[in-house]
Amino acid sequence: MKTHSLDTGGAGEEIFLIVDLERFRGPLDLLLHLIKQQDIDIFEIPISKITRQFLLAIRSMSVEQIDNAGEFMEMAANLLRIKARMLLPNSTMSGDDDPRAELVYRLLEYEQIQEIRAHLSVAESQRSRQFGKGFVSPINRIEKVEVILDTTWDEVYAAATSVTVPSVNIVEHKVTTRLVAMEDKVDLILLTLQRLKRVEFSGLLKPFESKMHGVMTLLAGLELARKRKVKLRQAKAFSELWMYRVSESSPEAVKSQLNPSEG
Amino acid sequence: MRTTQIVEAVLFSSDAPLRSEEIARADESLNEDVVEKCIKELTKMYLDAERAFEIKQIAGGYQILTLSVYAPYLERFDTVPKSSRLSMPALETLAIIAYRQPIGRIDIEYIRGVSSAGVIRTLQDRELVDVIGRGDGLGRPLLYGTTKKFLEHFGFSDLEDLPRTEDLPVILKGEDIPDSVGSVISEELETKNNEEVITTGQKIDDLAGGDGVIPLSPPVE
Repeated sequence: MKTHSLDTGGAGEEIFLIVDLERFRGPLDLLLHLIKQQDIDIFEIPISKITRQFLLAIRSMSVEQIDNAGEFMEMAANLLRIKARMLLPNSTMSGDDDPRAELVYRLLEYEQIQEIRAHLSVAESQRSRQFGKGFVSPINRIEKVEVILDTTWDEVYAAATSVTVPSVNIVEHKVTTRLVAMEDKVDLILLTLQRLKRVEFSGLLKPFESKMHGVMTLLAGLELARKRKVKLRQAKAFSELWMYRVSESSPEAVKSQLNPSEG
Repeated sequence: MRTTQIVEAVLFSSDAPLRSEEIARADESLNEDVVEKCIKELTKMYLDAERAFEIKQIAGGYQILTLSVYAPYLERFDTVPKSSRLSMPALETLAIIAYRQPIGRIDIEYIRGVSSAGVIRTLQDRELVDVIGRGDGLGRPLLYGTTKKFLEHFGFSDLEDLPRTEDLPVILKGEDIPDSVGSVISEELETKNNEEVITTGQKIDDLAGGDGVIPLSPPVE
């Protein structure tokens, strides 16, 4: 059981938080805990204070926990983004558009799910105390037979010492940003086909070196073909792949069709 | 021989919940209404006679189950493996799927804030959830929903047995929902504009038809 004391940060504030990271099922769980423990109004979250506490909590994660830390890191980045947006003057948006709104909604939704989870847990435990036909089966239990050990102490000792303790493998993670986005390739294909009636697959790849560009361009082409926005043609196996213009559709119109769920 | 005893015999010999129309197949004198009447009669008989079992309504059907007070005695017999309880993450994921079905993995992970592929697979292996359709987004994501086994596992008669979200202490109010949260909620906002409280529970009403059955066909494109 690991506990960490967190300075809440405010000048002169002498409140310390106890955070046991292993207890939390994820970043939302930790955030809710921080908010509840300090009796913070969920609609008026002091983002900088909470972010500082959140960062302190994940900084105290041990190396073994770091495997699961990605989600906490993402939330930390999200908190910083919200703080940054709050500092920016509101030029384009209306005054009442609080950058915290989405986070508040997620937290409330998460809390609601926890209520439902508790309800399911109670229902499960009640149901598990009632039995239907076939619970008690007539199969006889295997009688335990006493076997006299003829192993000597030396043999036990030799076996024990021959066991090697498995070494802890330290896995190195390389985190790279996503270099090639499929959306960019969708744009590339559609923009090219606005100028040209047809284009060779290899022509689209010429300016790029990494293999990932080839993969993403192909995926974008397949996705567009599925949506009937381009036509694919290939004379025979392993020959050049051609993409043909289908109609005069703007990239924006097609993209909105590709991602209807992203409101 | 009376119809009540026929119904009793069928229920007694079954190890899974039976729907009233399935029970009615036992004899020409039976139909769904008669079966329901017989079950009411049997329920009263068992109660009056202080029997160790009752007829429980589970997953749209009926099953004879022992009363929970006798659990400690029966649990001494370990000849049949007890159905193992679900972990906290599994219950959490199941709660999301139950209220938001049909729902894809990405949306589940957004609500939970953690990756959920493993948990979903576990729930699928235990047949508590299943793929019930595919979304329209990139790559046509798989959409999950709860199964009949889900109702059986929790002893629910149908999805209406789940608590209504407006009865929970945490209620999501319409004005706090940002535009970016998702199409499901914005759809509800449009259709239920006049109501102040918007809850995820309304999805369940939409899904469960008149007889409380979830349609298991993929959504029409």
